Amino acid sequence: MTQDAMIDEWYPVGLVSRLDGNGRKTALMGEPIEVASDTDGSARVTSKGRVLPVRVRYGHVWASLGQPQKELFAIPEADQPGRRFVDVGVVRVRCSPLRAVENFLDIAHFPFVHTDILGSEPHTEVQNYKVEIREDADEVWATQVKFYQPQAARSASGGITTEYMYRVPAPTCSVLYKTCPPRPGEWDVITLFVQPLAEDLCDVWPWMALFDDESSMTDLIHFQQTIFLQDRSILENQIPRLLPLDPGMEIPTRADLTSVAYRRWLKRRGYTYGAQLVAQ
Amino acid sequence: MTGQKQDQLHERMTIRGAVDSASFVPWIRRHAAKLGLRQEIRHAGPGRIELDVAGPVELIDMLEMGCSLGPIDVWVETITRTPAAGGTGG
Repeated sequence: MTQDAMIDEWYPVGLVSRLDGNGRKTALMGEPIEVASDTDGSARVTSKGRVLPVRVRYGHVWASLGQPQKELFAIPEADQPGRRFVDVGVVRVRCSPLRAVENFLDIAHFPFVHTDILGSEPHTEVQNYKVEIREDADEVWATQVKFYQPQAARSASGGITTEYMYRVPAPTCSVLYKTCPPRPGEWDVITLFVQPLAEDLCDVWPWMALFDDESSMTDLIHFQQTIFLQDRSILENQIPRLLPLDPGMEIPTRADLTSVAYRRWLKRRGYTYGAQLVAQ
Repeated sequence: MTGQKQDQLHERMTIRGAVDSASFVPWIRRHAAKLGLRQEIRHAGPGRIELDVAGPVELIDMLEMGCSLGPIDVWVETITRTPAAGGTGG
């Protein structure tokens, strides 16, 4: 299924820093596309000779196969002085693009998958938090998420209780705001931009906007890549590979509030590319 | 059943939305059975399904979570839960 509401959304298709005149062949929702820099240096994305709508933002080139009805979502922190912007690179994952986002939203897996980094036993309890679909912004938000983490960020030297906010501003994108150890009162921003190559295959482009004057760029990238590579092995073994919108085969719990809100939002908006509609 | 034992609740669950699908009632029964919950459908009509459900609160929470998503052809707007008197027939 390709002709659903997701056709008109924006998707990341490459790093701005890697643009070149030769172009890079990739895919978007099953369609072959080419991402290149034009003669004037601007980004150009084509599909079978057709020039696609393009945006350049948050270190990435964004494109759409359809006709976007709204502008690419805003991340105000991307314009905030003092932050370091980190292009983490790309991780290819053989799973539904929606599964990749859902996994990012799942805080309960931290102690088990990211042991001694983002979580540790016996600190497995997810405290109550608030989830809502903000109709005005048309986004899913989870707030007041608190979790003990042995090393919440590259810059953290010991365990702290980290507070999070999760935001889903587009069907294959999520923005995570988390406690910023060196700067109380500010939030570190870690995003997950997912390029749907096919319904069961995606390129994940994490990007970060951090307050961290100490860590090297290599260390920041390595820390985040470690996290996503740990996730990949889980994601590639999930059954079914597509994200079920009917929870018939799964039993969601209180800890899955954000995931359920995300699935409800996808269902309501008709975002079904990469989704399994009927439990099998 | 007397209702509020220490770890057992007996609740009336009211599900509102576009729920007048013939598929939803059997779906709810299946989901409750998977969770080991006793349930009895009290009302099923356009826009509203009511059921009495009995079991541990955590499992009733899980039934509510599952129902809030439901099968693809229904849209659940709200779910409310209130203490219920009397037993389920299930």
